[in-house]
Amino acid sequence: MNDLQHHGRTVLVVDDEQSNRLLLRTLLGRDGYHVIEVENGEQALDAINTLQIDIILLDIQMPVMDGYTTASIIKQRVKRFIPIIFLTAKTDEASLVKCIEAGGDDFLIKPFNYLLLTAKLNSLLRIVSLYQDIEEKNRSIQQHNLQMMQEMNVTKKVFEKVSKNDMRGPHTGLKYAMSPMSMFNGDVIMAEKNQTSGLDLMIADFTGHGLSAAIGAIPIADVFHTMTRKCFLFTDVLAEANNKLIDLLPTQMFMAAVMLSVDRSNNILSVVNAGLPDVYLYRNNEIIRSFKSQNIPLGISKMSSSQFEVEMQPLEYGDRLYVFTDGVMEAANPQGEMFGRNRVLDAFSEDIPGDDLFDSILARCAEFSDGAEQTDDITLLELCHQPQVSYPHSAEFSNEVREPSNWSLQFDLDIKSLRQFDALPYIMQAVNNLQPLQSGRTRLHTILTEMFANALDHGLLKLDSSMKDSPQGYMAFYQEKQRRLEQADEGSINISLEHTLQEDGRGGRLTLTVVDSGDGYDYRALDLGNNNAYSGRGLKLVSSLCTEMKILGKGNVITALYDWQADLS
Amino acid sequence: MSVTVQVADDNKSATIKLHERFDFSLHSDFRNAYKDITLLDGEYLVDLSGTDYLDSSALGMLLLLKEHADAQLSSVRLVGFNDEVREILNIASFDKLFQMG
Repeated sequence: MNDLQHHGRTVLVVDDEQSNRLLLRTLLGRDGYHVIEVENGEQALDAINTLQIDIILLDIQMPVMDGYTTASIIKQRVKRFIPIIFLTAKTDEASLVKCIEAGGDDFLIKPFNYLLLTAKLNSLLRIVSLYQDIEEKNRSIQQHNLQMMQEMNVTKKVFEKVSKNDMRGPHTGLKYAMSPMSMFNGDVIMAEKNQTSGLDLMIADFTGHGLSAAIGAIPIADVFHTMTRKCFLFTDVLAEANNKLIDLLPTQMFMAAVMLSVDRSNNILSVVNAGLPDVYLYRNNEIIRSFKSQNIPLGISKMSSSQFEVEMQPLEYGDRLYVFTDGVMEAANPQGEMFGRNRVLDAFSEDIPGDDLFDSILARCAEFSDGAEQTDDITLLELCHQPQVSYPHSAEFSNEVREPSNWSLQFDLDIKSLRQFDALPYIMQAVNNLQPLQSGRTRLHTILTEMFANALDHGLLKLDSSMKDSPQGYMAFYQEKQRRLEQADEGSINISLEHTLQEDGRGGRLTLTVVDSGDGYDYRALDLGNNNAYSGRGLKLVSSLCTEMKILGKGNVITALYDWQADLS
Repeated sequence: MSVTVQVADDNKSATIKLHERFDFSLHSDFRNAYKDITLLDGEYLVDLSGTDYLDSSALGMLLLLKEHADAQLSSVRLVGFNDEVREILNIASFDKLFQMG
């Protein structure tokens, strides 16, 4: 059987004596080998360069180039394995040793026994087959690797398109470090400007590595950016991301994440930690608070947006927030020790200027691991709360141009709807589909948000807005709002929007009316010219943003007119 | 064996014991330990006393076991973990998904 498989193999016979070559050609040819004959070493080298030679029978004493030289040149130059069998008349040990040292794989003493020759040929050709198998497999592995790298690059490009907002820089206060291919280790950072001109940030760490992690990251990035731009609350974004991951990921895969939301209007930070190491808040050279994970990672069990544990914290300018993935904690040194939380905390306890902290932590981690291979990716994020922020290109919304038209919408929300979800993103979405307001969108959103908050907080729930004067009060206000909302058993809010064309057809007037079922208040007694007359900052803001604002009824109806010009160029 | 399993005579509980590190390398051993076991209204005990480290793929394997147990109206209890392992379980809030201790 083995002999059969060697049939058709090409044997190069190198011998200066014609009778020897003839003998070998006849015998080997009869057994099905393909035989090529040359007279000396130089011709042998030529033959190897131009023909597919499987094995060489090499004489030692030849003119031009002898066998030893030929063998050593072949072994040096030829990358693939071509066995060489020396055919020699010399029988002394030194000569035979020299055969092997020159690169021969075996030798036969002339006059040779043909049976022994074919046995040796077959044995060496079996090794050639093994070599070829291995080479073939190596080639195919290399090809697979190449293909995988290409696929990863494609995925990476898709991912970069989905999450193209790099918000890093001195103007945003955001710094983070990840390795260039880090998404294939399962770490992802997403950032988007929120309605208060603060940032909403999601830092995520998928179980698993490679493409499987990237596959989860792409839809999550899409959910995060799309929903945040559409003004959904970060808890709604988390709930949607969680649902999506439950649908998409196999049971054993999940995503640990931290969601940060900075409300710049009230200087309040909200943190949801679902499975990442502690998030630290650093102020005046020390860590003043850590936010521990209190939530199950995403993609494991169904959650509604109100089920996430949210922690809130008033922020001061200069505060710095630090988020790590466990790659930082688990970075190992060559001895297998882990960097660990204590070493992270040490970095904070030293007297390092705030601006250098981030680099200092990274440097410590790198110094500790001392070139040891990283098993997990290292992601570190710092967000500094600074007085001024501006964003590289504000994430504006799709500016579809539509001709102004006449339409109206009415939303009637009973207490259950008010409890269960935030209707505003849906209303904004509807408005944006009917009549994209181009640059006025953010302004309209603010008007609507403030009118709605006024109706809910003051009209319906009768909360005292003076509570919001201090950051601590704001949190108490928020908690009290949740409590009253849970307990209320009646109440409703009606929102109507009516759009009419302006006479020249180049713009429109949007009339927004928000009615709450509360008792109202004696607004006539208040001096509308006085800025403090309105309950809180909200309505003052509305009146400054719209063309005209009126309080009607018993104080439970507010109407705002918003005029806009179409830019149809 | 790095994973051993013992089913109680009354068929109401099965104890899976892990030795050494609980990480991705145990993927098939861990799965093989329970895949042929059927408990009805019983309890799977995962004994982590021989474990000093678990990684996120181990957490994933526990979720797979939970899925297996849920289908048999059975629960999963994690026992014998040391403080470090407890911290990893706490960070992932696994106390909300599994019986502990």
